[in-house]
Amino acid sequence: MISSIIGQLFGIVPFGDIVFGFSEFSIIGFVVALIFTIVVYLTKPEKQLEAQKFRVEDKLEVVSLEELKIRRMMAIVCGIATAGAMLTYDLFDYALFLTLVGIANIGIVSAVKKDWVLNASYQYGLIAMIATLPLFGSAGMILAKTGTLSLFELPKIPTSLLFEKIIFAAGMAGETGIAPFYASKAEMFRAPGSPYILMIHLSSLLLIVRTVEILLTI
Amino acid sequence: MKKLGKIWNYLSKPEVVPRIFSIFIALIFVFGLLMPHYLNPDQLYPKPVPHSQTLKTPLAPYDRGGVPLKVPAKLKSQYPQYEPDLGMITAYLTPVANWIKDKTYYFGTTIVSTPGGILDEILYYTRGMDTVLESSILLISFIIFSWMFFNKD
Repeated sequence: MISSIIGQLFGIVPFGDIVFGFSEFSIIGFVVALIFTIVVYLTKPEKQLEAQKFRVEDKLEVVSLEELKIRRMMAIVCGIATAGAMLTYDLFDYALFLTLVGIANIGIVSAVKKDWVLNASYQYGLIAMIATLPLFGSAGMILAKTGTLSLFELPKIPTSLLFEKIIFAAGMAGETGIAPFYASKAEMFRAPGSPYILMIHLSSLLLIVRTVEILLTI
Repeated sequence: MKKLGKIWNYLSKPEVVPRIFSIFIALIFVFGLLMPHYLNPDQLYPKPVPHSQTLKTPLAPYDRGGVPLKVPAKLKSQYPQYEPDLGMITAYLTPVANWIKDKTYYFGTTIVSTPGGILDEILYYTRGMDTVLESSILLISFIIFSWMFFNKD
């Protein structure tokens, strides 16, 4: 069951107890995240032409150079964090990568000078902060129940981790902002500046897939 | 059907989402009270029994033994094969910390013990990547804050 999900393990990069593994599963996510990070670095942001209410002329929305720089940097940080989250085989480390992606997502839209975008990202920041409680709580409870955090060792320990898995999934749902808690993130997507906004979307999708893999293996 | 539409409309406002999420988390935690919880005695990062070291050693809750660069301290690790120097610098103390250690039995709980006093290998060696990520999360949030502060119109 485990080997069928992660596939063959090609190699590992050990940082002490925290091991980064290159399996068939994680390599795909890693490469996708890196390719999109390069795309974000190379492309220029989109320009939006907005129709005005009760006025004849249209308005051109341009991302200024100052704003572009910080947003591109945050998008690259988000891409690197996503790529790292794909590789890590340690539960606590993975939770930290999730949090890093969450805060980089806020950073991508924080430079937009629009009220409703900033309000939405503030609300998303609140959710991301609340979501750290179940995420790290789950990691801590798994450590207490099994005595280890390594994703290679956890499947070998025959302990029921149902509740821990549920709260880890709940924390992931808040951090990536999926279905019922989507409203604040959907407002964030409406900000101008396409390739950076794309990074928010891609990172959540990849992290959801990786969390499902982790919850199925442990 | 009309009521369902009202619920969707309510959910679509960004300012209610944190509220809904907190209620959702609270309900899950109530479910957690009904589940059995226990502690596995075979822990990877063990802690000594509370007060087992008090007034016996000045490094009270954190005494792991060992001599710097000679005798490794008592530490457990998930993958000892990747950590050849495990426990070698745990016992290192700065000259100031050494001086304070001779004066009091409560050195381990003072603020002097933390930076450069007792080097915690769990933080800096076996789980070093965690420390890197924690500080980078803090750094990113400071970058966001300072950018918004210096570019407010």
